[in-house]
Amino acid sequence: MDFLLIFGIYPYFCIMETFSHGKVKKLERQHMPEVSKQTGFPSPATHYMEPKISLEQELITNNDATFYVRIDSNALEEFTIFKNDVLIIDRSLYPKKNSLAMVVIDGEFKVIRIELEAKEKEFTLWGVITYIIHACK
Amino acid sequence: MIALVDCNSFYASCELVFRPDLIGRPVVVLSNNDGCVIAANKEAKALTDIPMFQPVFKIKKQLIANKVVFFSSNYTLYGEMSQRVVNILKTFSSKVEVYSIDESFIDLSTVPHEELESFGHQIKNTIYRLTGLPVGVGIARTKVLSKLANKMSKKIPNKNHVCVLNSDDDRVKALKWSPVTGVWGIGKKHSERVMAIGVATAYDFTQLPLAWVRKEMTVVGERTWRELRGESVMEFVTEPKKKKAIGTAKSFGKKLESLDIIEEVCSYYVGEVAEVLRAQNSCASAIHVFLVTNFFSTRDKQYSNSITVKLEMPTNDTFVLVTEAKKALHLIYKEGYKYKKVGVNLLGITPEEYVQGNLFKISTESKKTLTKVVDELNVKFGKLKVSSALVGTRVKEWELIKEERSPRYTTQWKEILTLKDT
Repeated sequence: MDFLLIFGIYPYFCIMETFSHGKVKKLERQHMPEVSKQTGFPSPATHYMEPKISLEQELITNNDATFYVRIDSNALEEFTIFKNDVLIIDRSLYPKKNSLAMVVIDGEFKVIRIELEAKEKEFTLWGVITYIIHACK
Repeated sequence: MIALVDCNSFYASCELVFRPDLIGRPVVVLSNNDGCVIAANKEAKALTDIPMFQPVFKIKKQLIANKVVFFSSNYTLYGEMSQRVVNILKTFSSKVEVYSIDESFIDLSTVPHEELESFGHQIKNTIYRLTGLPVGVGIARTKVLSKLANKMSKKIPNKNHVCVLNSDDDRVKALKWSPVTGVWGIGKKHSERVMAIGVATAYDFTQLPLAWVRKEMTVVGERTWRELRGESVMEFVTEPKKKKAIGTAKSFGKKLESLDIIEEVCSYYVGEVAEVLRAQNSCASAIHVFLVTNFFSTRDKQYSNSITVKLEMPTNDTFVLVTEAKKALHLIYKEGYKYKKVGVNLLGITPEEYVQGNLFKISTESKKTLTKVVDELNVKFGKLKVSSALVGTRVKEWELIKEERSPRYTTQWKEILTLKDT
C-alpha cells in the first residue's frame, strides 16, 4: 500500500482494482473455465485448469512503462550483466537502495547501482532494471 | 471538466527518449518519403529560418548549417508510444477520447475543482516518468476551452505545462489573451472575416451576436462560439467514425518502369487498405487507382493518370479488390515512363451488413472464411505475410528506403535500444 501514499492516490479512483494512476498492478490470471473436449470420459481436471505460466505476466508489472535494452559491452560484469544480455527496465518504479538502474549522465546512458546516501554524480534516472535476461550458450 | 492532454513535439520527443545525447539539439522528423519536415522540437522551431512542410532538398543547406539532426518518420515507434500514453490516461479517467496520435481529451467530471491543478500535474508527471514523453495539460469546462488552456500551458512560462480555467474569471482572461486566429475550429478564412469586422481576440468573438455567427460561420462557428462561452456542446467521442474512404499512396524507393512490378506494389497497397476495411467491418463499392511520374524531375517525360472502377458488388475481399485494381492499373499504365508513385483509394464505403447481394452472384461465404483465415495468419506471422500472389515477393526492391529511420525500439526484438560502451 505504501506506493499509494507516494503517488497521493485519490480514494475515488481505487475502485478499479487493476490500476490506479499510471500504476498497474500485476494482473492475476489464474482461472480458465473450459468445457472438456474429451470424447469419452470428461476430464477430471475440468475444474482445475489454469493458464500456462507466462513470462510476460510474471516479469512485467507495468507494460506501458517497460522497455528492453540490450547490452553490447563487457563493462558491466560487476553487476552480473554480460555482453548480449537484455535488461527489462521499468520506468514506473522508484529506485530503492542498491537498485540497478539505467541513468543518463551527460547525455549518455549508464548503468549504475543506486546508493541513496552518497550522491556522487549527477544523473537523470531513465528506469529501474528489474530483470536481466541472459542466454546460456 | 475536460482535460486536453497533448504531447510536446511528439515525434521528436519519441526519438529523444532513446537518444538523450541529442537533448538540447535541434531535431526534425521528415515525412514518409523523406520529402519534407513534418515535426520539430522546440530547439529546431527556434531556428526561424527552417520552414516546416518544405521539401527537404530546398532547405538542406540550412539544416546542415544549423546542425539539425534529422530522422525519417518511424510511425511504428510513434504509434506504439502513443498507445502507452493513452493507456496511462485511461488510468486517470474512464472516459478518454483519443483525438489524434498525440492528443486526447479526458473527462475529469469526478475530480473536485480545487484538486484539478494538482491532478493535471500528476497526469503530466506520470506520463513523463513512465514513458519519457513531455506533455501539456489544459483543463476547462469545454473541449474548445481545454484546447485553449492547453495552448496557454505551453505559452505562459510559469504555468509549467498545466493550465486550469476553473472560474468564469479565468475563462474571460483566457479569451482576452487568445487572438481569434488561434482558436480551435476557427479557420484562416473565418478568422480573416471576423478580424475585418474588428474582432481581435477570442473574447471579441464571443461578444458577436449568435445570429450573425450562425449565419456567417454555420453551425461549426456556432458550436465554437458556445463552447468558448463555457457551454459544452461538443460531445465526447469514444468510438471514431468509420472512414468514408480509405487510401494509400507512397513513393517507390526508386523509379519503376515495368508494369509487372508496379502491379505488385499496387496489390500490396490494396492488401493494406482492404485490411483496414475489414477491421471496420465495411465494404467498398469502388476503387480508384492512380499512377504518377516524378514531376520534380526536369529530365524525364511526365505522365499521370487515374481511374475509378465501380465494383460489381461492394466487397472487402482482398482477392477481388486486387484483381479489380490490377485491371484498372492496366488501363492507365503507359510504357516508357519512369514512375514514382502508385496509389489506391477505396470509395463508397458501406457497412458490411448493408451490402445488397447481387441476384446473379453466388454467395461469398467460403471466400469470407478464406479471408478470415488469412487475416488471422497475418496477425500471427506479420503484416501481409499471406496475401494474394499478385503481391509478389519483390517488396524489398520497391519499398521506400528510410535512410535515417531510428530503430523500432519497442516493437522489434532485434531493434531494441543497445548500449555499447557503458
